[in-house]
Parts: sequence; structure tokens; C-alpha cells
Amino acid sequence: MRLLRHDLHSLTGAYALDALEGGAEFERFTRHLSRCPSCASEVRGFREVATSLAFATATDPPPELRAQVLTAATGVRQLPPEVKTHAQPRRARVWVPWVPWLSGAIATAGIAVAVVFGLAQAHTQQELNQARAQNQAIALVLSAPQVKLLTHTTTAGGVATVVLAADLHKLVVTTSGLPALPAGKVYQLWFIGPKNIVSAGLLPSATSGQTAPVLASGLVHGDKLGLTVEPAPGSTQPTTTPILDLALPA
Amino acid sequence: MNPSDSDASRFRSAPTDRRGERDLDDLLVHVARGDQEAFEAVYDRLVGPVYGVIRRVLRDPSQSEEVAQEVLLEVWRTAARFDPAMGGAATWVMTIAHRRAIDRIRSTTAATGREHKIAEVETPHDEVAEAVEASLDRERVRRCLAGLTDIQRESITLAYYGGHSYRQVAGLLNVTLGAIKTRIRDGLIRMRDCLGVS
Repeated sequence: MRLLRHDLHSLTGAYALDALEGGAEFERFTRHLSRCPSCASEVRGFREVATSLAFATATDPPPELRAQVLTAATGVRQLPPEVKTHAQPRRARVWVPWVPWLSGAIATAGIAVAVVFGLAQAHTQQELNQARAQNQAIALVLSAPQVKLLTHTTTAGGVATVVLAADLHKLVVTTSGLPALPAGKVYQLWFIGPKNIVSAGLLPSATSGQTAPVLASGLVHGDKLGLTVEPAPGSTQPTTTPILDLALPA
Repeated sequence: MNPSDSDASRFRSAPTDRRGERDLDDLLVHVARGDQEAFEAVYDRLVGPVYGVIRRVLRDPSQSEEVAQEVLLEVWRTAARFDPAMGGAATWVMTIAHRRAIDRIRSTTAATGREHKIAEVETPHDEVAEAVEASLDRERVRRCLAGLTDIQRESITLAYYGGHSYRQVAGLLNVTLGAIKTRIRDGLIRMRDCLGVS
């Protein structure tokens, strides 16, 4: 077994160069990769080497390619960002109120630990994996070198707490004391930019008045964070007046 | 809103690090929102290496142009899935480019049974290499490749530039599979250190 794992690990190089053919070996390796952070980090480094190899071959394409690509792009619909949802808890549980942890100085390691949620409540492997991935993504934001902590009351009452990692184009939001919503309504986050407004995801339903941390990606400089009440399952553009319109420092 | 925000030049003045990675990351986030000017800037920044690596792997110019177009449209389409936490924008794009070129070889080989080697004879890669302007990247890469053992260097270039799977590389170099895996990995570790990749 140990030999096998070592064997798999030595495939990081071939994998990073796309020299692993599809099939059982590829499947086994990618499975291994998802569970082996040191392999993933090695692959990342090797891909950077590969990027240098690519830059070393830089060649001017035929000049007409530019217009072809730019014109073709106008006819290609873009994928929306992946909306990451939490593993849905299925039974009642006691929430550790974690917002107060944040209100002092940011001890990022402490926060990262505090964020671990949903794991014990996951009932299936898929839920567990989702919750783990979500926790990891949030922990990454919280442990980013330059995070800013913002808290603001909403015009409907309650407080939103935002951990902003502008470098990563991400933030994590948690709320406390927002009014409960009638069935069929949800709280939706928005990135409100000078040019456009895009959805930043939904708040999960509150437990004991608090919503679990939610990760929003795709933030750009100049965006404000908005929060509105929308009909479930959310809107493509805000349909009500924001109850929060928070400027985000660069 | 600052009036100059709507000017394409706003993407050209931002500070850049090596290859302008940070700057590119920001551009891609704008691309994800359908910003065409940002996409043009990404195109101008990356089309050289995208086309270059595809051409190096595929050799055939018209196929390379086709694949380069596919790759750039893929960047446009999936920009929202780019995650700066997982690596830089240039690396994300080059990974797509190389993988698409490899897919093209493997599907062509499977469909026609033709060996990729044939194309190698038709257009020797030196021709391409000579047409390329000397660049810092080329110089650094050449220096670092020169620091590898012969077998490390050959296995990396046959795999990456030649588009061969590691099994094929093992066959070409007459080395066992286990040895090739290790040589590629050891070679990449040396390259990583030599290039100063974090």
C-alpha cells in the first residue's frame, strides 16, 4: 500500500506536463491528488515551470486571429461563477456562536478553526466532501496575508460581518440578528460595481439568528457589497432596495 | 465613476510583476464579467505563448491557429472559474492551452492511426524556434534546461513540447516506466528551483 502511494506520488511530474494518458491510472492519480495537499502543491509548482516552458516558445500568431477571436467571443455565453452551497444540515444542532470570535483582533488561525462547521452534520459522503471543500475555501480566505474585517448594521436590523481578502477577489460573510424571512424569500448578496451588479450568492438560513459563513468570489476593485431580500431561489439582478450597501476598501 | 475607467488604456498602466501575473489575475476577474476590453488585454498579453506552445506541440500552423482560438474562447467562457488562490492566471491559461494541444494530438492519432512523429519531419521545430524573438523567458528556460541531466531534459521536452505521454517517452528513451516518472519529476524539481518558482 505504501509502495502504491509512493508510486502515485511520483506521477506528479507526468501529470503536470499532461503526460498521463486518460484511463485507470489517470483516475487513480486525480483521486489521490484531491486527498494529497502536498501533491497538489507540487503539481502547482510544476505547472508554473510548464508555464515558463510555454513562454519560452512565444510566437506571434497570424494577425487575423485577433479579430477572429474577439468577434467569436461576442457570440459565446460565459459560464456563471460556481455557487458554492453548504452541506445542508438535517438535524437540529447547537451552533457555536462564532461571530464574537471575530470582533477582536484577527487571529487568523483561530478563525480558521472556528469556521469548521457542517462536518458533523453531513450525512452522506458527498455532503461531507462539500462541507470540507467549503471549509477549506473559507479557511484559505481567512488565512490570506491581507484580510480586513468589516462589520456593519443593516437598515433592517442585525449585523453583517465581512472578512475581505481583496487580493484573492473573495470575501466571507456572516450575519447575526437579521429579521427572519417569510417562506419563499431569501437574503442575497451582491457585488455592486460601477459598471454592473453581479450576484455574490445567497445567505444560508439562520440558526439561532446567525448565518453560517458564506464565501463569495469574483470581487473586483471598486465593488460594494450589497444585501437584498429576493424571492427564492434568488434573482439575477436585485429587485428590492439593499438593506446593506457596504463600501469595500482596496 | 472615473471617466477613464471606460478607456481600454486603464488595463495597461497597472503595475506588473514577472509576466504581470497579479495584473492578469485582475484582468481575468473583469473578463468573467463580460468585459471585452479586459479580454482584449488578456489576448494581447497571452496569445504569443498560447499560440507558441500549441504550435510547438502540433507543428501544423493552421491546426495550431484553430486550437489557439478554441483555447482563448475557453478562457473567455470559463473565466469565472479561474481561482487566483490555485495559481496565477498565466498558468491557468497555459494549462488549458497545452491540454487542448495534447487532446488534439491524441484524438488525431486515435482517429487516423497516424503517428505524431510524421509531422515532426515535415516541420522541424528549429524553424519555429528561430522565428521566435529572443526573450528573457527563453534564455532562462534554456539555461535551466541545460542544468538537467540529459535524460531529465529529454524526458521533459519530449513530454511537454513533443506532446508524448510518459509511456511513450519511456519507449522513445528506452527506459523503464518507473525511471521515467522519477526523471520527469526530479527534472521538474530542479527546473522549479532554477527558475525560482515559489
